Amino acid sequence: MGNDDYSLIIDGVTKRFGAFTAVDDLSLRIPRGAIYGFLGPNGAGKTTTIRMIMSIIYPDSGRIEILGHPRAEEVKDRLGYLPEEKGLYKKMRAGEIITYFGRLKGMSGADARRRARELLDRYGLPDWFGTRCESLSKGMGQKVQIMASIVHDPELVIFDEPFSGLDPVNVELMRDLILDLKRQGKTVIFSTHVMEQAEQICDFIFLIDRGKKVLDGPLSAVRRSGGESIKIDYDGDGEILRRLPGVARVNDAGKTAELFLEPDTDPQSILSALVGKLSIRRFDLSEPSLHEIFVRSVKRMSHE
Amino acid sequence: MNKGCLVALREYHENLRTKTFWIGIFFFPLVLVLSIAVPRFLESQKEVRRFAVVDRSGWLAQRVLEDADLPDLEAVLRDLRGRAAAGEDDPAWPEQIRTLAGELGKVPEDQLRGIAESLARAQEALTLHPEALASLPPAQREQIEHELESFQAWWRGLSAEDARGLESVDLARQKYDYVHAPEAQDETAWAEQALARGEIFAWFEIDGDPVTGEGRFLYHSRNLTDGNLRNWFQKHVNDVVQSRRFETEKIREDVVRKIQKPLVFTETITDETGQAREAGSRDKASQFLPMAFVYLLWISVFMVAQMLLTNTIEEKSNRTIEVLLSSVSPLQLMSGKIGGIAATGLTVVLSWLVFFFLVVKVGLPLFGIAPPFDLAPLLANPRYILGFVVYFLLGYLLYAGILVGLGSVCNSLKEAQNLMMPVSVMLMLPLFAMFPVVNDPNSTLARVLSYVPTLTPFVMMNRAAGPPPLMDYVCTTIILLVTILLVFWAAAKIFRIGILMTGKPPRLGEILRWLRAPIGVIPDRSDD
Repeated sequence: MGNDDYSLIIDGVTKRFGAFTAVDDLSLRIPRGAIYGFLGPNGAGKTTTIRMIMSIIYPDSGRIEILGHPRAEEVKDRLGYLPEEKGLYKKMRAGEIITYFGRLKGMSGADARRRARELLDRYGLPDWFGTRCESLSKGMGQKVQIMASIVHDPELVIFDEPFSGLDPVNVELMRDLILDLKRQGKTVIFSTHVMEQAEQICDFIFLIDRGKKVLDGPLSAVRRSGGESIKIDYDGDGEILRRLPGVARVNDAGKTAELFLEPDTDPQSILSALVGKLSIRRFDLSEPSLHEIFVRSVKRMSHE
Repeated sequence: MNKGCLVALREYHENLRTKTFWIGIFFFPLVLVLSIAVPRFLESQKEVRRFAVVDRSGWLAQRVLEDADLPDLEAVLRDLRGRAAAGEDDPAWPEQIRTLAGELGKVPEDQLRGIAESLARAQEALTLHPEALASLPPAQREQIEHELESFQAWWRGLSAEDARGLESVDLARQKYDYVHAPEAQDETAWAEQALARGEIFAWFEIDGDPVTGEGRFLYHSRNLTDGNLRNWFQKHVNDVVQSRRFETEKIREDVVRKIQKPLVFTETITDETGQAREAGSRDKASQFLPMAFVYLLWISVFMVAQMLLTNTIEEKSNRTIEVLLSSVSPLQLMSGKIGGIAATGLTVVLSWLVFFFLVVKVGLPLFGIAPPFDLAPLLANPRYILGFVVYFLLGYLLYAGILVGLGSVCNSLKEAQNLMMPVSVMLMLPLFAMFPVVNDPNSTLARVLSYVPTLTPFVMMNRAAGPPPLMDYVCTTIILLVTILLVFWAAAKIFRIGILMTGKPPRLGEILRWLRAPIGVIPDRSDD
């Protein structure tokens, strides 16, 4: 692929705060039209990376190319950004705030207002145009912010922790919104520390821990790299799972568990070993979850 | 539209929605109206002070009451004569008195005091023969004497309440009312009881020889906080006693007055062309007018800069900064904020000025109150209004730069208050310097202070009546403008870093390093 096929190229970027290295020699290529998940625990360097992409802070070394330009400042109006620290002007009305951000991105007043109304209608807040932000609930406020970040129809959208603070219904809505953007050919980058959310919609994922890249690539490839695992739903005492022959590791959550097999173990032998000891409701042979892959990778890294 | 303008516009709109803004708009007019209305209201509500006199000297009380009447009578006669000359007629005055007005028009003005004296001194109404009228033809004299007699009868019967109806003159009779003890009662016992019952406010006891000053002279009251009645009565007692002492010592009073006559230097004012003219109250007012402007300037700059500080910190704690920074540059954001709040402040200040002019030009005449000074020199001289607006903007920009930088490194108002201390002290200086500067606007002190950029707007405003030499205007403005640019440069650098920063506010050393750091690089926060 040529450079034109990428919305964002990060090349050997490092950022230090004093003695602390927040991002260490990071390189990434984000293709146009992809949904790219930035995953990692709290404090891993996700937000710092995003801030550098947005030119809010500058890297100490390395190169960033965003929409073909070296700095986000030059393409501000083509970017949408939802920071991790989210806030609204309390005295402004929801519709006004979306309109305001649209205008700050260079839209005309009329266009911005029309688009604000459209977004509020589409994403479940049709009657809230004139509501002051101070009387919005936290989740609603967050939705308003998300709309404010995409009001100008940006080519590249970056959401920092978009799902935090949303209830399940709104998590679904947010997911739909991201998929809508993809359908329209936009590139979406979002960060999260909840792996399940990334698993559901990402085309690519990028795992970061303590400033270093752990994993990067298409979701399917990343998952295949983890070998096989068995997911079961069960009732009964899960203690037995740990004593099964041929099982290397168990993630037991009480009612569900994930079993990771030693090489050359036949999954069928596991199933027959369990019959009669636990009441099994589901038995799934699949690739390991991102969570497992992440935990393994981090462990591996800290051993090295 | 420019993004900075959009930010400014939003700030302005948002400020219009705050209570603080409207309190600001109405605060000054309210103070102005109250400061005019309240004293007048209190004055009109003040009760008439009734008083009695127990006089054992046998002569003093009568003479004092006459002496006290004299200024009142003179004021009334003057008012009547002025009215006749202007052809006005006040229906509040009783019929028999208004006819006197026409006659008084024929009497020379310098004779009025003489007439007042004879009216006050005459023991009996019918023996009025004022020497003051000697110069008039006999027929006219008789006519006036006749009118004066009926006037005197009216005056004697005039109660304090009725006297209050005469609004165009300010009389002692409107405030203090002498009460006679009833016939055939012991005066002292009656006065004591009347005071206890609250029928009189106070009574004077003259128990001794006023001429030698031996004996007891007492003022009895249940309320010693209001000394006006005592002072008023005492003054007239002393006038009378002094005259009597001259008499007993065989000293001619007119000789004494001649000897005591003071020499007064009349103030004149000379303009640039060497033309001298006598200084009136208008010149005095314009000399002190700058002080009013300095106060107003000071309040406005302080108020508006404070608004900016609060707003910046609020924005920071609102967490809207980061998303804004993805759309506008820090410099656009900062200048938009400063501009928006300047517009807010200017709206408030201009509304004050407009209100002030309305009150002085329309409000006061409507209620028949003479304005305390003339606005003409104020409007004619651009040094005041124009100077005010320019110095407001420059002063605001300077302090806005300082405070926006300061606000950006603080996480709460409490933190900001600590850092505000030095700025507050700096802002207090022009207030301390105000009196020395207004007294001598071109003194070395005034000139030196006006070259300190943080004081320039206030001190130059203060010196406006001088007026300062053109060179001072030009040089101080250049220095001020350069300082503003420097402050903005520094503020922009601090703002850029501070606005995203959390944790404890940086120390001075740290801020200095920020200033040296290239844009976009956040310097190490470890100890310096």
